[in-house]
Amino acid sequence: MFRGPAVPANQIHDFHPPIAPPGLYWVVPVPAAGVVVSADGKTVTLEMKDVPVVDQPRWPALDSIATPARMTFKMVWRSTGEPVQYENPSQQFRFTGNRAECQLEAEVNVPSTGFSWKSDPIETSRAGFAVIGDEVNGRYFS
Amino acid sequence: MTLPSRRNILKSLPIASMACMRNDASAQQTPQRSMTANGGSEPYPIPWLDRNGSHNQPAGPNLEPSHIYHFKGLVARCSTFTGMGTDNQGNRIAFGSPTTDYGLMKGEYWAARTAQSGAFAHI
Repeated sequence: MFRGPAVPANQIHDFHPPIAPPGLYWVVPVPAAGVVVSADGKTVTLEMKDVPVVDQPRWPALDSIATPARMTFKMVWRSTGEPVQYENPSQQFRFTGNRAECQLEAEVNVPSTGFSWKSDPIETSRAGFAVIGDEVNGRYFS
Repeated sequence: MTLPSRRNILKSLPIASMACMRNDASAQQTPQRSMTANGGSEPYPIPWLDRNGSHNQPAGPNLEPSHIYHFKGLVARCSTFTGMGTDNQGNRIAFGSPTTDYGLMKGEYWAARTAQSGAFAHI
């Protein structure tokens, strides 16, 4: 979150899960009911409530203080139908899918500071880049 | 400040050695459960590091979309959000930047030397 233009000097909050000890980066498990894929595969909805996160306003500074927080959000990807394929044999990954549009609504709260914030309705947000598809990597890459 | 006398140090030694013996004895008496040793079932991170040294790649064309390695399945990825919101003081605060990215990975991954399944979000 930014007060003013979205440049590092204006960042006042940065909400994300902690990095896991093995290095898994800002990743959390999603309950089975949290993902809904439409029958035609063109729309994906991800919805999670009260996800434990931290607020690190000075991220990525190594000494950035992390304050426990909670995040509730809904995100919807809708395929545009434009095909994309990203493949890098040296990194052993292949992604095959479509470009998409993506929108997000979210709420966060930081109990220890009393800060909370709620986004405007999902229709008002926009992602500049989005894709949906299937990927294989690592031992599944061939 | 008084320094401990040699006599006091010598007096304390039997107590210290008894404490050590007690620890040794409890370690010997605690039954050790047999278990597998195949590693945890958590997903492996992607090997690639971003410019901050994290196992992360920005969202974008020709970049690894998943944050989990040894994975196959559905991936949805997005970045560069723009949007607005309001805090509990009534202040209008924007969210999103070119590095504001999210991801969903749902499918099969390899961990603990076998195939696992699950859904994960990068948020």
